Amino acid sequence: MCLGIESTAHTFGASLVDGQDRIVTNVNSTYRPPVGVGIHPRKASEHLANVADDIVRSALSRHDGSSIDPDVIAYAAGPGLGPCLRIGATVGRALSSFLKKPLVPVHHGVAHLDIAMSIAKARDPLAVLVSGGHTSILVHTGRRWRVYGETQDITLGNLLDMFAREAKLPSPGGLSVGREAMKGESLIKLPYTVKGNDVAYSGLLTAAASSLRRQGNLADLCFSLQETAFSMLSEAVERSLVQTRRSEVLLAGGVAASARLRQMIGLVAEDHGASFHPVPVEYSGDCGAQIACSGRLAFESGITVKTSDSFVTPRWRMDEVDVPWIPRT
Amino acid sequence: MDTSNLASIPLYRGAEADLSLTTIGPWKVVVKRRVRKEYRNPTLDEQIRHARTISEASRLHEAKTAGARVPSIVGVDLENNAIAMTHLDGRVARECLDDMGINEARKLLRSIGEQIGLLHTGGIVHGDLTTSNVIVSPSGAPFIVDFGMSRRSIEPEDRGVDLHLLQRSIVASHSKNPSSMMNAMIRGYEQTAGKKVASSTWRKARDIARRGRYFAIR
Repeated sequence: MCLGIESTAHTFGASLVDGQDRIVTNVNSTYRPPVGVGIHPRKASEHLANVADDIVRSALSRHDGSSIDPDVIAYAAGPGLGPCLRIGATVGRALSSFLKKPLVPVHHGVAHLDIAMSIAKARDPLAVLVSGGHTSILVHTGRRWRVYGETQDITLGNLLDMFAREAKLPSPGGLSVGREAMKGESLIKLPYTVKGNDVAYSGLLTAAASSLRRQGNLADLCFSLQETAFSMLSEAVERSLVQTRRSEVLLAGGVAASARLRQMIGLVAEDHGASFHPVPVEYSGDCGAQIACSGRLAFESGITVKTSDSFVTPRWRMDEVDVPWIPRT
Repeated sequence: MDTSNLASIPLYRGAEADLSLTTIGPWKVVVKRRVRKEYRNPTLDEQIRHARTISEASRLHEAKTAGARVPSIVGVDLENNAIAMTHLDGRVARECLDDMGINEARKLLRSIGEQIGLLHTGGIVHGDLTTSNVIVSPSGAPFIVDFGMSRRSIEPEDRGVDLHLLQRSIVASHSKNPSSMMNAMIRGYEQTAGKKVASSTWRKARDIARRGRYFAIR
């Protein structure tokens, strides 16, 4: 049994995954900022610290109330907000020393891909990771994920969250913008920026926000923002797919919950004869299960860390992590 | 021109366009047709395909005028978002480089650098410069193709993107000594773009590479 602890941004999560890669428990609590306000790292970390005890306790209990002892403790070591990362790392270290079980550092982005690959059954895909922290197109070669394309400025999650904030829509932004977009009909022209396999979203955000301030129709604006932003990514994915000739496309991360994005990336995959593997919506957002899933795989590959070396890494690129467990069997 | 009823054989299916081969008069011609994308909103789709067809044809013409080796335009079909251009004999640089020793690869990269320098000096940036978009003729001369994302620009930023993309494609597909290959490219680039432009573009390219997420040092 591997216990995974997530605390990179707004969510504290704890989860147990067994030796057969099955999710036994998965308990999460997410900090929601007031409408119109972003996540303040200190406030988020206070929330995480307040709920940590209860979350871990309930992730480690059976239905009958007895508790389960994990064999391995995995914690999200980065990337993310420093104050938040330190909460999860502290809990992880404490449990590891108290229970005398090995400690495994996990990269939060790699973990998004691991849980998606486990549940959506992908072996060696072109991976599309879309969240508040990442917007990257990756393929695995050698021992690492290689970035084939990515955002040059803000992520897709940032874009949707920041626009939602401007429009006074509730968090998470992707969900609210998606809901408004369903009522929209006419396409407003917004900047469309694809540079090779990279995208850039900051110009799109500025244009959408200024159109909002000119009292544009909110539903049409959400519709156009979503269509433009997702089309940019889909185009970059399509280009990467043609270049890498992979036969699977994986979609993971919080924004993967968007029905429209799933449809678009699915069509790109289908058009090029690749199978499409979207993460199930319930495991798309940040959760303990992703850390437990990735931690188990890392532990089986012999990756552990001494408590004294168990740092957190707020800035940590996907292509700097050894991931020897891919292709998956 | 109308390309819709030309008898042609499919050549290659790219990410945004289908290429097919045909003959018009004495010329072997490639027709590049931007096809409708099912995933894209129809209005947005038409806007993008139309704008890119026009810009690709314009940039090809300007690149020719600037003295770069690119295909010649035979005709444009705006109804069908298609461009007919002369067919090039040769192999894609990505494949050639795999069979080459380092000295031969450096020679090719140097001459690719000269071509990029010509484009940039002519006020054109390619926007999608990878080793897959360079065709090497049997005599070893590189042709730059696929101007679908190209623009008129003399900004170091845009020029930097070109070199950055080329570098990334070399690092990703050709693991043997990419930095030596890039050095050779820069030599060639300097030759046609001049030392001053070369150094500002190269500096920008390195900036851009560090713009991705979560780099520890910026």
